[in-house]
Amino acid sequence: MRCLKIAAMAAVTAAGMVAQPADSVAQSRPQELAANTRVIIDYIDPRMQRSEATLDRLRKRQVLEDLSLFLSPLRLPRVLRVRTKSCGAVNAFYVPGEWAINLCYEYYENLEAIAPQGTSPQGYTRDEVVVGGFIDAIFHELGHALFDILNIPVFGREEDAADQLSAFLMLQFGKDVARTTIRGAAFTYLASKNPRTRTEFADEHGAPAQRFFNYICLAYGGEPDAFREYVDRGVLPKARAEQCPREYALVRRAFAKTIYPHIDVELMKKVQSVQWLRPTDGRK
Amino acid sequence: MSFIARLALALTLIAPLWAASLHAQPTFSPNKGGTAPAPAPETGSPGGGGVFRPSGTEVTPPPAPPPTTTTTAPAAAPGLDWGNSQVDVVYAEPKDPQFLPIRERLMRRQVLEQLRLFLSPLRLPRKLLVQLDQCNAERRPYQPGGPVTICYEYIAKIEQIAPRNQPAGGLPRETMIVGAFVQAVLHEVAVATFDILDIPVWGRETDAADKLAGFIMVQFGKDVALKIMIGAAWYFDASERTWNESDFASEQSPEAQRFFNYLCIAFGSDPASFKFLIDQNLLPIRRAQRCTGEFYALRAAFLRTLMPHVDQQLLKRVQSATWLMLDEPK
Repeated sequence: MRCLKIAAMAAVTAAGMVAQPADSVAQSRPQELAANTRVIIDYIDPRMQRSEATLDRLRKRQVLEDLSLFLSPLRLPRVLRVRTKSCGAVNAFYVPGEWAINLCYEYYENLEAIAPQGTSPQGYTRDEVVVGGFIDAIFHELGHALFDILNIPVFGREEDAADQLSAFLMLQFGKDVARTTIRGAAFTYLASKNPRTRTEFADEHGAPAQRFFNYICLAYGGEPDAFREYVDRGVLPKARAEQCPREYALVRRAFAKTIYPHIDVELMKKVQSVQWLRPTDGRK
Repeated sequence: MSFIARLALALTLIAPLWAASLHAQPTFSPNKGGTAPAPAPETGSPGGGGVFRPSGTEVTPPPAPPPTTTTTAPAAAPGLDWGNSQVDVVYAEPKDPQFLPIRERLMRRQVLEQLRLFLSPLRLPRKLLVQLDQCNAERRPYQPGGPVTICYEYIAKIEQIAPRNQPAGGLPRETMIVGAFVQAVLHEVAVATFDILDIPVWGRETDAADKLAGFIMVQFGKDVALKIMIGAAWYFDASERTWNESDFASEQSPEAQRFFNYLCIAFGSDPASFKFLIDQNLLPIRRAQRCTGEFYALRAAFLRTLMPHVDQQLLKRVQSATWLMLDEPK
């Protein structure tokens, strides 16, 4: 669904629908932006042979280059490092001592492993899971990085705060991007096991099911039309759904007060007009 | 050994104070019912957790207690006003007579008047009404612009869950009642404060309110922290229910998470005093390792967002009062 729409939009743009006002047509060339010079990217050679293909794919897709362009509006007081590498575990993590986001090849490979071949019984597509899941990992760790680098007060659970930033970013690029990325991110939490014993609740992360509902709730609060089906199908209970506009408003307020002051607004508008996702994303 | 048995054992080992009877009612109390002025809380805690700790040793004795009556206590009782408070309080009359004794008891103890005093350092740009009311539910969530409501139903539930028979070596039920009540009140006030002061809240609002409440609860010395943090955690432990798939859709966190969050705040605020939580395997080491960092982040958030709205003179006065009676005779 997402692919068809995006493919259609790309075709329209490529065909040069010049009659459209410039700002209503998504541009397809992030090259018009300049990389953020305070973001240093690095594709580190994998230790495992099987990750060579992953590296190759990420490098060809220019995932980190795109991220640096995406972050161009951000005025960072420190240099942020973002690297892909072998970790020996399915993980993605921010290292405060290095101001560095680490994205593990294993994390991407695991997304490919858990993604449905075509469409899952609940209707999630392979592309949503691989693309949305990986973008979520990047944005979530970006959240930890920004909270640290920009010295942002975080009252709630920081893991949830990072999820909120991720979901909020996903919701700033129109309905199609929102659906692909939010649904993909949400699926990864559907696929995880929930805590049962008391000790399992001691984790600093929320339970996967809580995180699933947090994403869907923010999405419904921010883009009600694109996510109403979750309420209609009874996946998102009414009692929670009623709170979602307020939850979204709280996140927007937090973003406005703590991150927006560090953003170049003109550049941000450019970033929002770029068509970041491609129809082939998530495919081998 | 059950959680509470291990806890009780740990506490009797580390804090002889706990062997003394703890007969406080669920109340804040700035004074000790006509006895000599309370000693100032010890300055500084081993863990260095308290931002509230006054640097000097100046002690401002709390005002003399007003005469205790069993009739209606008006919101602003004379002698119970340190000025500046934007907080009004009301004990709404419940329709259901079963809640009348709870109302009567809390009025007699002037619980809300003391909360009002306690909150006087907080500079709010508008009046905030804090009320006890019958809600026909355990909670009535705060709505922007509205009052803070503590439901008689919730207080009744705490009193119902608190065990009536204190096992040998166990904790008295008042520990749970006081801790859970203080936690509930500060949680609801925290939600209202976020709204009124337009504080940026990253993370789920209910968790943020739990953490702000917990942060305040550990600012009044080791003894108070031990009592109310353990009491609140014990309540979450005792009221724990099984969470199934759709339960996780709640904007509230499972009781088990809130239990560990409170232990984590306590440990993070003062690792030396709360080390027994690890020794007794109550707080898993994997989480405990993060608690100092979590507390540091919480304190930083408080200092950046709330401290600018706190009157420092009144804060010193609040800190030098004794708010919970740890050893009041029956």
